[in-house]
Amino acid sequence: MYDCRIDGELFVNMISLGAATLEEHRVEVNDLNVFPIPDGDTGDNMCMTMEAGIAHVTGKTTLSIGEAASLISDGMLLGARGNSGVILSRIFAGIAKGLKESDTADVCSLARAFRAGSDEAYLAVPVPVDGTILSVYRDATEYALSRVTEETTLSEYMNDLLTELRESLSRTPDLLDVLREAGVVDSGGAGFVYISEGMKRAVDGESAVPAASLRKEAGPDLSSFTEDSVLEFGYCTEFLLRLMRSKGDPAAFDIAVLIDRLEKAGGESIVAFRDGTIVKVHVHTPRPGEVLSIAQEYGEFLTLKIENMSLQHNNHIKETEKPINKPRKKYAIVSVAAGEGVKNLFSELGCDAVIDGGRLMNPSAEDFVRALRDVNADTVFVFPNNSNVFLTATQAAGLYDGCRAVIFPTKSVGEGYAAVSMMDLTGDDPEAIADEVNEVIKTVKTGTVSLASRDVERDGVRIVSGHYIGFSDGIVLTDDADRTASAVTLSEKMGAADSDIMLLIAGEGVTPDEAEAVRAIAASRFPHTEVIVIDGGQPIYDYYIVLE
Amino acid sequence: MLRLFTDTDTDITPKMAEEYGYSLISMPYSIDGKSVYPYVDFEEFDAHSFYDLLRGGALPNTSAISEEAYRQYFEPVFEAGDDILYVHFSRAMTATFDAMDRALVSLKEKYPERKFHEVDTKGITIGSLNIVLEIGSMYKNGATAEEILDWAKDEVDRFAVYFFADDLRFFKHSGRVSGLAGTMGTLLGVRPIIHMNSEGKMVSVGKEKGRAKAVERLVSTVLEIGEDVKSHRVIVAHTDSPDIVSELADRLLEVLGADLDILTVDVNPTAGSHCGPNTVGVSFHAKHR
Repeated sequence: MYDCRIDGELFVNMISLGAATLEEHRVEVNDLNVFPIPDGDTGDNMCMTMEAGIAHVTGKTTLSIGEAASLISDGMLLGARGNSGVILSRIFAGIAKGLKESDTADVCSLARAFRAGSDEAYLAVPVPVDGTILSVYRDATEYALSRVTEETTLSEYMNDLLTELRESLSRTPDLLDVLREAGVVDSGGAGFVYISEGMKRAVDGESAVPAASLRKEAGPDLSSFTEDSVLEFGYCTEFLLRLMRSKGDPAAFDIAVLIDRLEKAGGESIVAFRDGTIVKVHVHTPRPGEVLSIAQEYGEFLTLKIENMSLQHNNHIKETEKPINKPRKKYAIVSVAAGEGVKNLFSELGCDAVIDGGRLMNPSAEDFVRALRDVNADTVFVFPNNSNVFLTATQAAGLYDGCRAVIFPTKSVGEGYAAVSMMDLTGDDPEAIADEVNEVIKTVKTGTVSLASRDVERDGVRIVSGHYIGFSDGIVLTDDADRTASAVTLSEKMGAADSDIMLLIAGEGVTPDEAEAVRAIAASRFPHTEVIVIDGGQPIYDYYIVLE
Repeated sequence: MLRLFTDTDTDITPKMAEEYGYSLISMPYSIDGKSVYPYVDFEEFDAHSFYDLLRGGALPNTSAISEEAYRQYFEPVFEAGDDILYVHFSRAMTATFDAMDRALVSLKEKYPERKFHEVDTKGITIGSLNIVLEIGSMYKNGATAEEILDWAKDEVDRFAVYFFADDLRFFKHSGRVSGLAGTMGTLLGVRPIIHMNSEGKMVSVGKEKGRAKAVERLVSTVLEIGEDVKSHRVIVAHTDSPDIVSELADRLLEVLGADLDILTVDVNPTAGSHCGPNTVGVSFHAKHR
């Protein structure tokens, strides 16, 4: 039934089912990690980015495909987390450009828009790499577009797209050594395969799962509707109704009559359609009880959701119009960190805002936009401290024009610490400050000790699942059943003996006594090095070792 | 005759004071509300115990002595018909000299013939000590008050002092250093390089990461702005960090020659209350501060 023109509703449905399918495979995508430690988060990042897009069209009806694509894209650009999330958001930004001002689209224009998503995504990445979601998506959209004729149905197009997505995904280990060595395919590409599988299901007639089964967003702020509030916006009421034979002949049911009755009962923004004996209704009403009574005359509810729109509305205002209460500064520093101790470290070093890197969660572009705004400065120096966060910060800088954002490519908290601790903000020239910071970043080495999650041979080291492995610069330097020994060996191999400073940042699973034991050994083995212990409290990484 | 005074904030010990003929004014600090007057309440300064207390979390305060205390120091001298030259720590760092000024007004009325001279070393600890010892030598060699004041006019600004600290907690508590960036607590290896400027105030002039780089920065500063360094005394001081100070002394001997006249002292507890343990510095003759 949808195979001629694709409208906004089908498009939203495709994206929603795409997100839901990805959600089902979230953990699987996370586990496609080239490193044998449990820090994969591609599934999380892509899921949350998709949800941010869908949240922008939730409750909106009768959208054109152009409007729907553009709203979804806006939501995703802000909600983008991690490199894969940023790339995904740019794919949808490209699709939205391609569908701009269209009310509906035919298969050919949709295929062209999908293809345009690839070009846009490549622009987002400074050094695009084949064997990632970028090339997987490009291969598939090119292939599927090349097969589109006048007769191609949307279902056939989606089949072609999926075929080549899977093919190209299976080739990623041939293109990237790290994938081949780890025995995995690219996680971002895999994520997109699941999204496309969901889109295909929507094309084949499946309805989007109700939003409630998607991952729950944080609940509304109940305090925003008080004893004295006025019900200004009514209730957003949505339900799926099964027409019951006991209540009348479903074949004789006329949707127009229902819509008319709901309107007369004070309903607004009504969208109702029928699919067999299921009726889907969306209505805004000050009296949901009346709406439900009318509907129940025809059948029984399959699902039901009623939300006070004043709460939704107030939340929105809080997010976007919170007043800035700091005086304007010349410079400010924004840094990303996970773990209380590490966050405090950056605050004490003089950061104006520390964005929570969260447990296995990269910050969104919106988190950065908020921080850039809140610190209220002419120039904001941003330290992402994670190579998977740099693109998000860059995207945020492009979305917010209230300051000049200088984003440093710090790949670890170690580099961030080294840079921020030596910053001198007394100068007038932000360029000169940035140059100095970049020099400092070059002088630091960071390593991590964490628990291995699988047996594998890597960089000439036999890694045993359950052992503690030490990494520096993406290279495994040590594997040891003992955590303290692993930390000491790693620091030795990183060159602690020839460093001035060794910062040992202990993670949440390490006791103070254990960290002190590492410090004592290091201090005696590297007598010329100043060894400093910090209780970082970060997840995943039992130790960060920072050498300068 | 002329009688010399100085104070315990200049790091001088009673033994050195006696050698040069100085009377010593004791500048107090307090821990947990209990005031301690150096070399009055104890005979020898146990630097290790004191700075260990600070390492353990104690945060001392310093206080100004009273008008009456100054009167008690100075009046016997005037009464005996002698004049005073007081070589003191920086006026810009304290309110204590306001009390001294008040005491002097009343003493002046009582002893209109007597003279009071002062040399503001515009420093504290070894920044002052170098000047105190130079003046002490002149005094021993029979210099008059006028000759000493004349010398001090140019030379006070020629004794530079540079130092670095381990922990900003103490500076933040005392609020006596300007130019420290950020709101850093523990410095985590970063050491601000601080000097006393020609107004007698402590100013941060940069920072170095790690002890080794901080020591090198002091050495290179001596080489850069030092002048006639070897014909004067070089004083290095520390707050219970003998390893670092001997590293600094060794490096200075290495680059300036083994015949360098170098003196190592403990930073007095009152000044040490402002900088905390593991502070190390150097005072030397220079082109400018």
